[in-house]
Amino acid sequence: MPLYLLHFAQAHNDFRLPELASVAELLGISYTLPEKDEDRDPTRPYMVVELETEEHAKMLARRCILIKAAYEFYAQGPSYEVLHEANRKCEPLWRKYVEDTSFKFLVTAYSHKIPMERQRDAIETFAYMGFLGKIDMKNPEITMVCFEEYKDRTQTPRQRNEGDGDFRQIFFGRLIEEGSARPLVRHFDVKKRLFYGNTSMEAEVSLLMANQSLASSPTFRYLANPGKLVYDPFMGTGSMAYPSAHFGAMVFGSDIDGRQMRGKQQTPGVVRAASQYGLASRIMDLAVFDITRNPLRCGELFDAILTDPPYGVRAGAKRLGRKKSLPEYKKELSRQHRLAPDPEDRPYIPPTKPYELSHLVTDLVLFARYVLKPGGRLVFFLPTVTDEYEEVDVQTMLCNGMEVIANSLQDFGSWGRRLVTIKKTTAEKYYPPTFEDREMVTKDEHVPAHKDFREKYFQGFRKVEIETPQVAFREG
Amino acid sequence: MVRLITHNLLACHAKDCNTNNFPLEFKDIQLEIREAEFNSDFLKGFMPKLEWKALVDTARQLGDTSLPLEQPEMVDDGFLKSLHHVLLEIHVEEGSMTCPNCKHVYPILNGIPNMLLAEHEIG
Repeated sequence: MPLYLLHFAQAHNDFRLPELASVAELLGISYTLPEKDEDRDPTRPYMVVELETEEHAKMLARRCILIKAAYEFYAQGPSYEVLHEANRKCEPLWRKYVEDTSFKFLVTAYSHKIPMERQRDAIETFAYMGFLGKIDMKNPEITMVCFEEYKDRTQTPRQRNEGDGDFRQIFFGRLIEEGSARPLVRHFDVKKRLFYGNTSMEAEVSLLMANQSLASSPTFRYLANPGKLVYDPFMGTGSMAYPSAHFGAMVFGSDIDGRQMRGKQQTPGVVRAASQYGLASRIMDLAVFDITRNPLRCGELFDAILTDPPYGVRAGAKRLGRKKSLPEYKKELSRQHRLAPDPEDRPYIPPTKPYELSHLVTDLVLFARYVLKPGGRLVFFLPTVTDEYEEVDVQTMLCNGMEVIANSLQDFGSWGRRLVTIKKTTAEKYYPPTFEDREMVTKDEHVPAHKDFREKYFQGFRKVEIETPQVAFREG
Repeated sequence: MVRLITHNLLACHAKDCNTNNFPLEFKDIQLEIREAEFNSDFLKGFMPKLEWKALVDTARQLGDTSLPLEQPEMVDDGFLKSLHHVLLEIHVEEGSMTCPNCKHVYPILNGIPNMLLAEHEIG
């Protein structure tokens, strides 16, 4: 298969390959990654992949948030000599442009600025290609680009031009398509949104999540609607919903606390933000409920669940219930009152209790298995403690028929959040989960690093000695 | 909002309310009709999930008689257009939904239904 050079944004490195895999699956594209680990290292900006056709390279560049541009690959090498030798060998690929094609030629670098003089010199070394067409810097028919890849030197102060020519690798190819999905990051910029909250997910990450869900249109026409239905059970201000709706899905959202979805005006905030993007009719509905006490009449409804569960730092997870249950006589009083409410009363707000993160996540996976269609995907963020995280943590939350297919880290230092993609691989029918309160884990069970995340966060992730419980003195 | 597609998915879920808890009855409602994009794939994909009788009865209560009493085996464009209108273009903005069995009232405010249960209604 022919080779293509992909230029990636240096952001969310760990999400790069999962995104490529998901988008390729959505679009029905097969691809082969480079064999050597160093050539597919996601901290490097360039990667050469095999694809069936140039059209496929275009399709990927139009849909992957992390692709800046796609090129037909001609040659690479650690030095210009090696590069030119390889480039001479692949003459059949570029010979057709020699006669009469207007062109532009660029020499540029990653993590470095090449002095003008040497850029000219470098371009001169390609003279043997003998292009006869007109040089056109504005509207060329083809653009040839030579990239010098330097080691990432951000945050290290250096002299102007220091280390010039000290590159790791050079890549050379012909531009096929500038990435057109990447500008969506600005289109959905939270700061420009009519309605958002302090826990709204940044646009780039919510776009990446939408791509992980596969619940979107395989075509690129903005209005093409593939008839998919996506659900966010922790809707909040709806950040996950807009990119999915943009890619063509209908979105249903719920939250235990309606205030985030509503905002302060009559038209709910989520609807106002969706209207700003022309997507209001793709918000199927919003509802206030607790997923552990949900009114859904049946399962197998959704193509994907896309959500950012509250993990207790800025917004704590809650479920219906009371931390300490009331004595019977008070329960009865409350029941009587509910049956004959005083019309002067403010709207009734039922009591809630904290929902520990590891329980929430296990329940979320069970719930997803019930409400997802077979083959559907659950895509969500799991915050975790960097030092304590183990691969097995993610396994502890799974149940039969739910398999992890991607797990990417967004690293914030002592903690990070993992974008977990789980696929429902079973077609078996399940009863709705009961969401019973769980007992404390027994000794033999693995304790995942995300358990009690809130407490760990506020302790600054210090290792805390487990104190032996002390016998409390009784009064009197 | 509260489109009929959503209404068709919501049942009363109070503790021990397991029979005759669907469909919820609309009361004192304000309707709005808003155009939505037509998508036959979405409609066809959703049809097997619908409780047809509940949908038709509710649509008729709201004054729309375009749907046949029985879900047709063969679907044509005219039928899909009617289904599209009933499922996606009728929005209940205010009012409430009452459980036919336990009489729990789920209020709708600015198009968002509050489906939370009271303390004595959870297990």
